Amino acid sequence: MLKVSRGTTAAYLAPMFITIALVSGTPIVYTLYLSLTNLSLFNDDYTLRGLGNYQKLFFATDSDLLYVLGQTVLYVIICVVLFLVVGMLTALALNNRKIKGQAFWRVALLVPWAAPSAITALIWKFLFNYDFGPINQIGRVFFGRNFGVPWVTSPWWAFAAVVMVNVWLTYPFFTVVILGALQSVPEELHEAARVDGANAWRRFFSVTLPLVRPAITPAAILSAITTFQMFNTVFLITSGGPTPDPSRPGFTEFVMIYMYNRVVGANVANVHYAQIAAFAITVFIVLGALTFFARSLGQQRTRRKEALA
Amino acid sequence: MSDQIMKASTSSEGASTQVAVGRVTAERERAKAIALRRRFPSNLLTGLIYVYLVIMVVFALFPIYYVVQASLAGGQNLYTTDLKLLPSNPTFDNYIYAFTQLPLLNWIANTFFICAMTTLIGLAFSVTGAYALSRFRIRGRDLSLNLLLAIQAFPGLLALTAYYVLLNKLGLLNTLVGLVVIYAGGSLVFGCWNMKGYFDTLPVELEQAAMIDGATPTQAFLRVTLPLAAPALAASALFMFIVGWNEYALANLVLNSNTAGTNLTFVLGLYTLQSDFRTPWGYFAATSVVVSVPLIILFLYAQRFFKSGLTIGSVKG
Repeated sequence: MLKVSRGTTAAYLAPMFITIALVSGTPIVYTLYLSLTNLSLFNDDYTLRGLGNYQKLFFATDSDLLYVLGQTVLYVIICVVLFLVVGMLTALALNNRKIKGQAFWRVALLVPWAAPSAITALIWKFLFNYDFGPINQIGRVFFGRNFGVPWVTSPWWAFAAVVMVNVWLTYPFFTVVILGALQSVPEELHEAARVDGANAWRRFFSVTLPLVRPAITPAAILSAITTFQMFNTVFLITSGGPTPDPSRPGFTEFVMIYMYNRVVGANVANVHYAQIAAFAITVFIVLGALTFFARSLGQQRTRRKEALA
Repeated sequence: MSDQIMKASTSSEGASTQVAVGRVTAERERAKAIALRRRFPSNLLTGLIYVYLVIMVVFALFPIYYVVQASLAGGQNLYTTDLKLLPSNPTFDNYIYAFTQLPLLNWIANTFFICAMTTLIGLAFSVTGAYALSRFRIRGRDLSLNLLLAIQAFPGLLALTAYYVLLNKLGLLNTLVGLVVIYAGGSLVFGCWNMKGYFDTLPVELEQAAMIDGATPTQAFLRVTLPLAAPALAASALFMFIVGWNEYALANLVLNSNTAGTNLTFVLGLYTLQSDFRTPWGYFAATSVVVSVPLIILFLYAQRFFKSGLTIGSVKG
């Protein structure tokens, strides 16, 4: 600790805390306040109404909350499992010393991470185009002229499309994290397991996996949070659609897209600011809980490490 | 393989005078067979790994490759239902059009301004805050660090309405500065946590020594600590820079396109290209290449710094 005057401390902290209070703090307070009112586009003269919006969100039969959360959680689970599988396979392949040309493979496989995601989302939208998109064109080469996958217009295909793009964007991050962990596993452990007669399968699940798990867990939770909040990629490709059931939100209308479409969307007749605010606060609480859960896991890990040392 | 072994062993049993020689050959054969059998699956595995890597590289690079070749296809060549992996008459027409007919240079200048200002403000405000939280005696430090984390869980998008009202009150709606305020404010928590983690790893004795030699705390911070924290500064700066390069929703909220569309960022600009009745894929592809290739190169070059400069994962509570 350095001994400094109060004035110095304040001068160092003030710009950051004032900006955060203004840019991040006031929107939270304002949203919380709005969620307790009855403001909508056609009701400018709004008053405090208590918890009515939350009650409607949680208990009304036509509430979208469960559907939107359900679709989002399904998306998060599928994506994170695929990140782990693809990231692990790629890291294992790159960690194999018999593979030549490591420098090439490593750079080539990192490119999706480096590409700006908003632009690649638009590129993928182009690849998914039914008539002119190269993915369907490749399909036509193999399966004849009438082949065509209705990416973007059929619910599950659209879901698969946004999963695929997210895997494309995120697997390099997992590869880097897992590869770093794999390289810290001492070779003697594998040797010892081999001498004891363990086959490759057994060596992976009993030696490698337990040793890299501490590195994978925080990465998985972190990416679960960012996938939960994902907006750009999904919105730019599907805009939340398609909508098989008109009384429900779109099939890929995950939490952020749902909110955005209700506030800025083109087909919104009346913007129910207050109800959307209640939705936002609910999502905020879920995300906050996830963040602290992730952090406490991280702390447990350092504590365990310290105990071992 | 096993046939050979059997043959070798029967022949050694049959020829009684050459037992010793026969046994040696048999053993050699057997060893060879075992080695072959062992090498075979590992060769197969290596082959499979190469197949996997090739598939993954195609998956990773195909979108980039396709957009580059599409940018070189002229006229209506892209409007075909047949697969074409190479443009038949490569031309730079799309690039010329993008630079002369589209406000691409305005988009790049706007985006660059936003990103640079965001990085500058975000870095300046978060590095001082992070330093104070790492080095000075502050009451309620752990509480404020946790509070920052809680605020971070409220993503900017959830506050669309609030941002609109806020910027409207500040008179910053439909200005680039308005976007800078949102992006910079939103990047402070990340910057603070990342750099505080790095400062914590540097020995405080360095500054104490400088202060004994007569330096003020600020001089010690600027001359001693800051140069040592360069990797963390670089990593934080890159992440702050990329935010503005990639963001769509808030930019769309704040910026209203003027008739010529010169006041947009290029993600917004690219999207206006796409949402036309008939998307001009060629122009779109050329524009995408112009704005993403520099960033890909920058990122691949800079990722070597990430390992030392990113501390988020190892921050101790």
